[in-house]
Amino acid sequence: MEPMNFNFQCGDPPPPSGLSLGIVGAGPSGLAAAGYLSCLGHAVEVYDKMPKPGGLMLFGIPGHRIPRQRIEAGTLRMARQYGVVFHTHTKICCSAPLFEEEGDHFCTEVKGLGEMITKHEAIMIATGSWRSRKLGIPGEDLPGVCSGLEFLFPIRAAHYCAPGVKAPDVGGKKVVVIGAGHSAVDVAHGAAALGAASVDMLYRRTRAEAPCGRLEIERLEAAGVVWHEGCLPKAVLGETAATGIVCQQGGLERGFEADLVVAAIGEVATPPFAKELGLESVRKGEVRWLNMTAIENVFVAGDALTGPSKIGKAIYSGLRAARSLAQWLDLKAQNRQTEFTGDELISREAERFPGGDFRDAPRVRGR
Amino acid sequence: MEDSKTLYIDYGKCIGCETCEYVCRFVHDMPRIHMIRTATGFMAPLYCRHCAEPNCAKVCKRGAIVRDRDGAMVLDPMLCRGCQSRQCMLACPYMAIFETDKGVTVVKCDLCAARRQRGLEPACAAMCPCGAIEYVDRATAESLPDEAAKAAEQRVLDFVKPPKTKPGE
Ligand SMILES: Cc1cc2nc3c(=O)[nH]c(=O)nc-3n(C[C@H](O)[C@H](O)[C@H](O)COP(=O)(O)OP(=O)(O)OC[C@H]3O[C@@H](n4cnc5c(N)ncnc54)[C@H](O)[C@@H]3O)c2cc1C
Ligand code: SF4
Ligand code: SF4
Repeated sequence: MEPMNFNFQCGDPPPPSGLSLGIVGAGPSGLAAAGYLSCLGHAVEVYDKMPKPGGLMLFGIPGHRIPRQRIEAGTLRMARQYGVVFHTHTKICCSAPLFEEEGDHFCTEVKGLGEMITKHEAIMIATGSWRSRKLGIPGEDLPGVCSGLEFLFPIRAAHYCAPGVKAPDVGGKKVVVIGAGHSAVDVAHGAAALGAASVDMLYRRTRAEAPCGRLEIERLEAAGVVWHEGCLPKAVLGETAATGIVCQQGGLERGFEADLVVAAIGEVATPPFAKELGLESVRKGEVRWLNMTAIENVFVAGDALTGPSKIGKAIYSGLRAARSLAQWLDLKAQNRQTEFTGDELISREAERFPGGDFRDAPRVRGR
Repeated sequence: MEDSKTLYIDYGKCIGCETCEYVCRFVHDMPRIHMIRTATGFMAPLYCRHCAEPNCAKVCKRGAIVRDRDGAMVLDPMLCRGCQSRQCMLACPYMAIFETDKGVTVVKCDLCAARRQRGLEPACAAMCPCGAIEYVDRATAESLPDEAAKAAEQRVLDFVKPPKTKPGE
């Protein structure tokens, strides 16, 4: 299979620009930005806390959906042909203490943001969205309750022989999965495939409203998963470990037995230095320069900025931020960057892309 | 014509991640490949097949959709009048011509004509994380689909042209 071509914007590598750029996070957004910027001849260094570049494309989404070799070959190509340097096992510190997000136990090196800013002409934060959302109900801290990423991540990471990472042991257990998004579907399939005695999936709305779609639910049912809708979790039961969960369904309380409860209800972004970088204002579009943070030479892209989205949106965000960064570098080289602050580009883009969907999306006939 | 290339999407491999549409948007500003979501929640991109016998070109009275040297069916905005009847959109069996608010108000894929000039392949094919999009010659494109791809494509075609259901069904 051909490698994914992150350098799709150029053919042969261009002559070096002499500028060094750093990218934090090697998920789809960071890799797309690395491809764009290395196509301009910049010396790009990518930092990631995981043992391999790829982000959730490798460590979140199961391998039968995304071929791992295509991603790996793509990053290797970027390194060999375009000189992009990958620093893996390296975490850029830290809005959250170490060992709080999935994947932290892989890091062997921690670097500060200050070090990055002085080392590179500009940097881009593309750290994704990895902290799992909590259920906010009694009992959720009991052993036997985990998040979607906590469940899925070891299955993928076990491939990389990290000490202490084992695929979850669900053989013969009763598993309850909460949620109906992509990760919930992946968890339910994973649990069924790993030999769970039963897999019940609980969702607070109806089948028609499930973000994963009806077809996916039918596929899960074919794999033996039992679907329950209109089910709002109230409490996890158990003394020393989870033994079940109580839900409200159609005004009635209903209990499910469970040895393992997986809450796959989404993730929240935890980019390093969210406050210092003023990310809240960047999200609202109150910026001097597209995708620029409160620190002039620090840009941000992907799920770190938008919250959980999809690969396509993350790539687009990475490409746009990279283009914006490159434009800023050009003007800075001429000492003209102040002329263009409050650039109309920002408001124009904010108009078109208010977050989520485009106002000017093309339409198909009759719809 | 025989050795000309086209795009082929294996809907069996596609995971509906929207990368193709967003990369197309980045390159062309207005995407020419467009995601749909069927009633069952299946997401997939609609795309132009650069047909051997293109209905779109047949119905366009202005002759604005023509085949280029490499075999791509290209809409020439100099000739297109953006007519209200939208014959080309209606004629395409794959729903691969889209309506926009800009320019001549219709867009279609030109297999990344400007990129081909520079020896590059279409951007969507380069960036699809699943390798579901191939830029191949026509004969290969016809030989590629396996059972899973055909079944998945049927879901897309059923969206484009919903199968007639008998009353009461
Ligand atoms: C289980 C699951 C299934 C999904 N399925 C799909 C799907 O089918 N289709 C789809 O389109 N999308 C899917 N998504 C969403 C998709 O994976 C994300 O939207 C996308 O990967 C976001 O890209 P990103 O580059 O912004 O971040 P990420 O892919 O999250 O990459 C961020 C990278 O930054 C690194 N990092 C984080 N913090 C630091 C730090 N402080 N220092 C150094 N490195 C750091 C991480 O190790 C990671 O490699 C799924 C998500 C999950 C969780
Ligand atoms: S990029 Fe590939 S996997 Fe993603 S929607 Fe397009 S064809 Fe499908
Ligand atoms: S627009 Fe439709 S009819 Fe015309 S070449 Fe493309 S797929 Fe064929």
